[in-house]
Parts: sequence; C-alpha cells; structure tokens
Amino acid sequence: MINPFEDFKKYPYKKREIPLDRIVQAKQRVMDQIVEGYMKLVEQEVKDLVWLVENSRVFKAYSFALRTIQELDYDVDDIEELCFEIDKGRRIPYLISGPAGIYVSALCNNAKEERIRLRLHELKRTFHFLGYRLPEGKTLVLEGDVGDFIGAGLSGGKLIVKGSTRNWAGAGMMNGELFISEHTGQNTGGWMSGGEIHVDGRIRGVAKTILGGRIYHRGKLIVPHSTTARE
Amino acid sequence: MERKENRYDPLLKEVWARVRKKHFFPELPHPTISESMDRVALEIKSKHITLSQSFMEEAARHLPMDKVIEALLDHGVTHYTFCPWDFHTHLTLYQEAKKVLGDKQMAQKSTDYFMDVVADTHCFKEKDTPISDLYRHMDRGVLDEAIHALYQRIWGEDLNVSGHEDISRRLSRIPYLDRKPWPESIHRFSKIIQGLLETEEKSGTLNQPNTMGQNDFGRYSSDEMDQGLKEFAMSTGDPGEFKEVVKDLEDELKEAGYPSHGGMGLGPGSPLDADILFYMKLAESYSLPIKKTPIEKSGSLYPDSHSPWELGKPFRDIDPWTSFGKIMPGITQIWERREGETFGEEEGTPNCIVVIDSSGSMINPRQHLSHAVLGAACASDAYLRNDATVAVYNFSHARSGDRQVLDYTRSRMKIYQTICHYFGGGTKLDIKDIESLQQPSRPDIFIITDMQITNLEDLVGYINGLENRVTAVHIGDNTHVRQFRRSMELRKNISIYSVQKKEDIPKIVLGKIREYFRSVS
Repeated sequence: MINPFEDFKKYPYKKREIPLDRIVQAKQRVMDQIVEGYMKLVEQEVKDLVWLVENSRVFKAYSFALRTIQELDYDVDDIEELCFEIDKGRRIPYLISGPAGIYVSALCNNAKEERIRLRLHELKRTFHFLGYRLPEGKTLVLEGDVGDFIGAGLSGGKLIVKGSTRNWAGAGMMNGELFISEHTGQNTGGWMSGGEIHVDGRIRGVAKTILGGRIYHRGKLIVPHSTTARE
Repeated sequence: MERKENRYDPLLKEVWARVRKKHFFPELPHPTISESMDRVALEIKSKHITLSQSFMEEAARHLPMDKVIEALLDHGVTHYTFCPWDFHTHLTLYQEAKKVLGDKQMAQKSTDYFMDVVADTHCFKEKDTPISDLYRHMDRGVLDEAIHALYQRIWGEDLNVSGHEDISRRLSRIPYLDRKPWPESIHRFSKIIQGLLETEEKSGTLNQPNTMGQNDFGRYSSDEMDQGLKEFAMSTGDPGEFKEVVKDLEDELKEAGYPSHGGMGLGPGSPLDADILFYMKLAESYSLPIKKTPIEKSGSLYPDSHSPWELGKPFRDIDPWTSFGKIMPGITQIWERREGETFGEEEGTPNCIVVIDSSGSMINPRQHLSHAVLGAACASDAYLRNDATVAVYNFSHARSGDRQVLDYTRSRMKIYQTICHYFGGGTKLDIKDIESLQQPSRPDIFIITDMQITNLEDLVGYINGLENRVTAVHIGDNTHVRQFRRSMELRKNISIYSVQKKEDIPKIVLGKIREYFRSVS
C-alpha cells in the first residue's frame, strides 16, 4: 500500500526567524505597556464624572502620565500608533479627549526624538491639549486638525500645527513658538505669559487676558497692539 | 492551438516539480513561458502562471536561470496559497485601501503591493526560496525601491537598496503574516505609501503595472468570483459600500468574464447592476426552506388501534381476536379507524407571487440594506431553486401608477430588477393586480410590507378569501401589523413572520401552514 504522505518525507521545510517577527513582537509589547499606562490615567481621571480643565488638575494628570511612562522604551511611531488605537476605540474602549491629549503630550515630551511628527489627518476624534508643556529643544509637528488647548503651557518647544486648532490655543504658554497653518478658535493665547503664536488662517478671537508673549496673524503682530501699550 | 515549444520548457518542468512539492502540491496547472510578455515578470490567468522570457533572461544575468524561475513561481504560487487566497479577501483589501486613498488606481496599486509584501514575506519565512536573490538585482521604480527597503528591513537580507528609511521603518511595524488584521494592516500600509503613490500619479507612472505583475481578477474563476461576492455582500451588509467597490471594479470583473452565463447568475448579456448584485449575492447566503404541497387525506379509513366496545357502537368494528369471543361492554374490543394519507396529485413546489411594498415608509434598497428586498429576494430564490416560477407585484401607490407587475418568469435578473425597484410614494395596493397573477394551480403568495397600507382592510379581506398558501412578512411592528395579525388569527393557510433584522430572514418558512389541507377546502 502506498503511503499518501510519502512525498512529504523529503519535504524541504525551512521556517526561519526573520526580523519582522522581532519588530512586530517588540512593537506589540511596547504598545501594550503604553495602552496600559493610558488606561491607568483614564481610570484615575474618570473617578470624577466630569473632567474639568483646571490648571492644577491638568498638571496632576500630566505628572501622573509622566510617572507612568518613565520606564518605557518607545519611539515616535509608537506614539502615532497610540493615537490611532485611541481613535479606533477597539483596544481602548473610551476616549476622554483631555487626558488622551495630555498622555500623548507626556509621551512626546519624554520621547528620545527631538523632532516628532504626528500624522493625525484621518483621525475621526479630536485630541485636546496636544503639545502641552512641550519643552525647549523639542519640535512637535501635528498634521491635521486638532482640538482645544493646543500648545497649552508650552515651555520653550516649537509646536507646528499643519491644520486648524480650536479654542484656547497656546493657553498659558510660557515660552516657545506655536505655528498654526490654518485657523484658530476663540480665546487664543489666553493667560499666556511668554513665547509666540503665529496663525496663518483666521483667528476667531484673541483672549482678553494675556500676560505676555506675542501673537502674529499672517505675519503681522496683533498682540500686543503696540510696544507702548504692552509696556 | 498548440503552443510553441520554448527552450526553457525542460528547465521549467524540473523547477515546477520542485516548487509544487515545496508548496504542498497546489492545484495549479503547469506554468508556461511567454516570449511576447515584456512589461511584467509574470501573469496569472485562470490559475495559470505565465512567466516572461525577457524578464527571465534579464534576471539570469545575475542569477542562475533555475533560481529565477523558482523565485517567480514561488511568488505566483504564494498568492494562491496565502495572500490574497480568495476573491473575497482581495475585495476586502481593495475596499480598505480605497477608504484611505479615495482613488481607484491608487487603491489597486496599494492592494497589489500589499499582497506582494504579504505573499513574498510568507514565502521567505516559510520556504527555501531565492526570491531575495531575484529582488537584489531587479530594476526598480520608486515604489519598488521603498518596498524592497522594507524587505531589507523585515527579512534581514541585503537587497542592495538604500534610502526610504522613514517609510520602510513605518511599514515594518505592520504584522503582514497575521491574516486577521489584514484590513487594518492595508489601511496603515496605504496611508504610509500614499505620498509615493501621489508622486507616481503626478509623474504619470501610476498606471504602469508592478514589476512582479498585477494581481488582477483574471486569476479567479467565475465560481470563485460568485462565492467571493457573496461573502463580500455578507461582510459589508451595506449596499452602498458593496456598490462602491463593485462599480469601481466593474470593468475588471467584466474583463475577467463576470457575470457568469448560466446557473443562477445574472443571465447572458445582463448589465452589472451593483445594487441588484448585492441582494442577489446576499440572498444566496440565506436558503429559505419551502414546505412542499402537503399530504392530502386519501378518504379511506384503516384500523389503527383498539378501544373498549360500548353499547351503541357498531358491531362491524368488533375485533373478535382480542375480545375473547365475547360481546360484553368493557371486554369486547373494537377497532378505532383513522383516515389514511396520500400524496396529492400536485406534489411539489407551487409557483409564487411575491408582493413587495416599496412605499416611502420602506427603506430604499439602493441606499441601505432593505430587509424587505432581501426577504423577497430570498423567497424568490427559494422558489426558483425548486423549479417553480415567480411573479412579482411591487407597489407603492398603485392607483397612481406606482406599481410594477412582472408575470411568471424564471429570469432571476427580471425578478430582482422588479423587487429592487423603489417607488417611495404612498402605500395603496390594487387587489386586481394580484388577482391578475392568480393561476388555477393556486400559487403561493409571499407578501412583505410594513403593513402601513392605506387599504389594509382590502388586503385582509382578499387574503381571507384565498385558498392559496400565504406567507406574510412584516417589517417592524406597529398597530397595522397587530391589526393584520388579529385578522388572520383563524386562518390556517397563512403564516406570519416578523423581520426586525437580517438574521430573522432565515427563520421564515415559505408555504408553512397550520393543519391546513387543500382537500378540506
């Protein structure tokens, strides 16, 4: 009787380990850790049913996020992937725009790379607080429209938005540069004390309280109105 | 016509045997070599792989000819054995790429490259293949360069490519060998190579085929396409999404010989109407059972069981064998007789009149998944499968002319065209239209509506007087539905089903009746 599997006896089987296996596994491991950190932050922040935007509250969340990610070895691709994961909502069941943006900002500020580019064009949800406390020496490029409080508390870094921001762009920024290629919403530059905001599109409204710094609209200085007024 | 002998045929034969063994003997015909093909390395039509002689000879300047042939065959065979694997997967990948790129040509190119990366990487990992040796010396366009830079990174082999660091790094994070997230993977893949595709578009090279050949639909058989479209209709569940993909690929489908001529297909020469095709394929996935014409009472009685004889019961039924020879109440047994059953003269499946409501309160089947159209399509298919013919009455405000009457036919295309027609007006049917379709053989009647019919009482009255088997399906629930149900409660030849979601459709049993025998009427 003929063994139907006879031909397979000399089968030249060769399965090799390829770098893809390692890359995908490592990526998965890092993503799991990043997602876990985000979930911890959300768990903490969600205890209060309403997430209030208060300086102390935001800073507390940011500090928590920084502590969570301190030991992680990630890169800019992981940050971008996290944004997609949060947006899809499959692994991460809920998005609270504030904490999500703060967490992403903490990742950017703590990343090894000095220049970070996040392609956010196709995200369905909007992230707030991106570029929060971006430190000196870092450049963050956000491609696509983003939410409120973009560049809030900017601390010397360079934040470039290739798209529009909503309200309170550059709120409370202390130093650094915020470039917005399209439009910005109301209260632009609210409570800012230093640095520069450049808007190429329409500014719906400049904040009433601006403590320092400069706002340029299409290259023209609009805040302060004149040097004498500021001084 | 007999094919001209090629000087590489003996070598091809030898290598093919090796490749077949390596890939666990795939069911593929013997490949051939073409002297006239020069734009791409290989072509696959109806599972048949054709290699380009000019490409082979060019590549053989750097690599032994048997290795060139082996690499090309490995590439072609892995498209069958791993990715795309089937037509449904191919369509799904295209759909995802199109969502990102919004352009047919770009989406097709992205799909081609994605499938190449998956197939080549699988082959490189799982088999002993010279693919990397072939790629090391290949002429490349910009996109090929980026893809080969990716291979270099994920295979760990030097392919003689430099640059494309950013793109290849981002592409390398995609889990190509994991089938489950392929739709998501191609989404990211397309997003990453979008810039390069746009550059190709600007330079006018986008329409040039990939060096390793285009993954066109010619490789699939008509049956595979039928099955793939059926699965695709099921997985999208949305006529809009289905239509977008099928319309995009209409020319390619036709070129590949679809729709098929015959069977339950569209029929010869039929145009490819994506909406109709969607319901057609979806309906094929649901097979509704039809109760054949029921058994009739024969009228003759036969002894069935015993019971004690009582005074007043006829003597002729006494069974002396179980009565101990005595005529005595309580001891004497009589036969209980039951009526015998026999098959009626017209055993089989009657024809069917499909009555479908396409008024404004019903969903437009061309915009969203219409359970009414799907239900009617499933019912029609069921009757056609059972060799019956189907007539259709599609109505909205019938008296104002919003109606279509299709006489009995077995043309699936005509039936679907009538079923899929949407009037979107008021809801009033004309009983005369249904009556005109009645036949002496009492066809089954299948009605599907939300029951919000202005002259519902006319319909109720008409159905109450019918002897046909009636399957009434209502979409949703409302006072009219409840009124209809109440009015039909006593009728034994009418079955009523509710369809709230598409999963309810398979629960419908056509021509089901409750203790209803035609001989009684």
